[in-house]
Amino acid sequence: MSEKRKWRMTRRGFLIGVGATGTTLALGVAFGLPYGRIRLADMFENSAGAPASMDAPPNAWFEISADNQVKLFIPKVEMGQGVHTALAQLAAEELEIDWAQLSVVQATTALGPFDSRGTSASNSVSSLWVPLREAAATMREMLRTEAAKLLNLPAAQLQLESGVFSNDNARLTYGEVVSRVSSWTVPEAKPPLKDPSTFRYIGQPVPRVDLPDKIVGKAIYGYDMRLPGMLYGAVARPPTLGATLRRVAAGEAASKPGVVTVVAEPDFAGVVAESRQAAYQGVFAMSLEWNETQRWQQADIERLITVGEGTGVTIQRLGDAPDQLRIIGTLRAEYRTPMAAHAHLEAQAALADVQPDGVKIWASTQFPDMVRGEVATLLKRDKATIEVIPTYLGGGFGRKSGVEPALEAARLSAAAGKPVHVGWSRTEDFLHGYLRPPTHHVLRGNVNADGRMWAFEHQQASGHVAAEFLPGFLMAIFGADFGAWRGAMIPYAATHLQTVAWRNELPLRTGWWRGLGLLANVFALESFVDELAHAAKADPLQFRLNNLPDDEKGQRLRTVLTRAAELASWNTAVPAGRARGIACCVDAGTAVAHVAEVGVEGGNIRVHKVTAVVEPGLVVNPDGATAQTQGNIVMGLSSTLLEKITVKDGQIEQGNFNQYPLLTLAETPDIHVELISRGSQPFGMGEPPMGPIAAAVANAVFALTGQRLRELPLRLTT
Amino acid sequence: MELNINGKSYTIADGPARPLLWVLRDELGLTGTKFGCGAGYCGSCTVHVEGEAKRSCITPVTEAAGKTIRTIEGLAEAGADGSLTLHPVQQAFLEMQVPQCSWCMSGQMMTAAALLESTPSPSDEQIVAAMSQNYCRCGCYVRIKAAVAQAARQMARAEEGAA
Repeated sequence: MSEKRKWRMTRRGFLIGVGATGTTLALGVAFGLPYGRIRLADMFENSAGAPASMDAPPNAWFEISADNQVKLFIPKVEMGQGVHTALAQLAAEELEIDWAQLSVVQATTALGPFDSRGTSASNSVSSLWVPLREAAATMREMLRTEAAKLLNLPAAQLQLESGVFSNDNARLTYGEVVSRVSSWTVPEAKPPLKDPSTFRYIGQPVPRVDLPDKIVGKAIYGYDMRLPGMLYGAVARPPTLGATLRRVAAGEAASKPGVVTVVAEPDFAGVVAESRQAAYQGVFAMSLEWNETQRWQQADIERLITVGEGTGVTIQRLGDAPDQLRIIGTLRAEYRTPMAAHAHLEAQAALADVQPDGVKIWASTQFPDMVRGEVATLLKRDKATIEVIPTYLGGGFGRKSGVEPALEAARLSAAAGKPVHVGWSRTEDFLHGYLRPPTHHVLRGNVNADGRMWAFEHQQASGHVAAEFLPGFLMAIFGADFGAWRGAMIPYAATHLQTVAWRNELPLRTGWWRGLGLLANVFALESFVDELAHAAKADPLQFRLNNLPDDEKGQRLRTVLTRAAELASWNTAVPAGRARGIACCVDAGTAVAHVAEVGVEGGNIRVHKVTAVVEPGLVVNPDGATAQTQGNIVMGLSSTLLEKITVKDGQIEQGNFNQYPLLTLAETPDIHVELISRGSQPFGMGEPPMGPIAAAVANAVFALTGQRLRELPLRLTT
Repeated sequence: MELNINGKSYTIADGPARPLLWVLRDELGLTGTKFGCGAGYCGSCTVHVEGEAKRSCITPVTEAAGKTIRTIEGLAEAGADGSLTLHPVQQAFLEMQVPQCSWCMSGQMMTAAALLESTPSPSDEQIVAAMSQNYCRCGCYVRIKAAVAQAARQMARAEEGAA
């Protein structure tokens, strides 16, 4: 598609482009942070149309062609969460087209809607729920207006189905309208959105648009990217945590077979070669000296992440919990969760092609715009000359920032003048990334004679989550790390409540991990609620129902708890040798309750069954939401039962899966998922079902064995 | 060195000793076979060598030379017109919407196809034992198990139909 377009910005903020030959119409809307609008403004200031180098519509969501096909440019990346499908459902719904008329195209930083937020925090569908449907409906109504003019009929007399306007004796497709109209007007008023009772796609288990290519091995991920003449890069890594380069020299690297370029700079040592193997061998042959710091040990990490160490900020307060927690009979318990790896099976990867007139980066990244900004700073280039093209992601889970391999590949490509691919080894990924931070929790609470929570306090300590990625001034404004306290606030109606978040610096990088603080915080909170219930001699389900607030959030939690208990036969006897545990949370707007049924086999915890009830507001794709629930439970169970990263003598001890096993099919329980669709707004589905799983299992283990396990991964003491 | 992959013959440089995986991916551009761990733990790189599931990341290319190699790109049957008839395992994985990110899925499907080749009517325990050799970080295990069972039933029906 190389035809030049005429572009126009409308009063409602839409961008309209019409192909010079009048055969395609493209419509876009800027969203996200102001930067997108600034970029648009630049474009209009600097040229009457799009920049000459742009042969496809910037910022456009849709492109309709003469053959009545619609391209949907999606700025969110597909990492298995089904977002391309869910967003296509939203668009197709308002466009009134058949599914086969729609094709999904991954947007890049130069093509398609601009998105400064990236794909994270389970908010892709919820944040685009209104803007995307409004853009689609606007396009539909513009087409309707022009069709009516062409047919010389009142717009109200036109029926619309499958992208075809018709009445008894006339018929006009979207494609035909587009090829006959060259000037378009965006309506001043927002178009009506469809009544939910007429939805065709939203709420249906529409099959994933990305699976046909994935099933035959054709889908391209960052690690798969290839270009003619490309080379491979490898980079020297610090031998211990915190080590920095003291002296860098090429050594024998240049004479190694296959080595093309050796990059020896004060802060960077890397090699470009004809194969990955040759690149790594080149790096080993470089002459490097490192400044090493203290040899950190696991005990140091745990000491730093302890309530009372570092900075504490009160994030929830009602009444005077500290005073009311002096009452005799107050329970106190401490919980810990370890560092964990993301263990996405596609290791970090990017391909960079740095040329004098422009830079292209293909990366497995959740944050294409962040990659672009960092590459621009590194290469001292104008952002506008850099295009970041996100590929499919082989797992994201918060670790696919894409920044490190992109920067490494860019640096090496700039030196070699050729496209360079950097794909990390599994060991590099384990040792040199960032981790889920360790956490420590101190909980105190008491219950009055009626079985009501009286005072409840959660003090939580964590390494950085969001702080790793935000400028210092923002952290100063927030005070606490909002990523670390996701899920930390007490959702119950105690008379006196307090939550305090402590954060501290660690000698290693920690950051986003699926759900951020959610799994750790809900594990501690919901286990402790179980402790309070048992101390009050109350049934754990009934205790929760009695103590949730009477507001909407409390009612939603009651609904999922009650339904999960019912499905799991909470009030009937458990098979011999097993017990059940229950836990719940609200996260990203979504209410979740899990019941776990566990046993003990050979001294190990065996999870037999998990019953999950999830209420994410309106369910856009029930099969996708079910898959996300199943996947979150499995990933959460892997953390609950197995996963732990430790530090010894300044190094992370786990370098591959033999030292960091993941849950397999053999340990996977039967998982029964029920979704409750409610209201007219969808909430998050990518992470919330992770929240309660560890606590549900730990509570079941207590019911079975009397052992209250307060540390992940859960280990029975025999 | 000659490699026979998916019914086609490829000539590659003798070169240094190297794993089959990187020959497939980097030298021949067959990127459907995925790199996961490089040490044979995760199963993402599973291919068939003489019909058996092998981890290509720890299989020296010299060991595969002269043998019949099949990768995910050759699991479906290609017609003369280029159309693909999916293998029953692929068909079941698609129908049951098994993959999420799908990075592990080439390996999962190759493992499943090899299992059904050697054990046409596997028990649940046999499916679990075979498929527990492969990691899936997105946690698609419930669906993997169901899809392998469905593919087995489908293949049994096709076998009956042919008999």
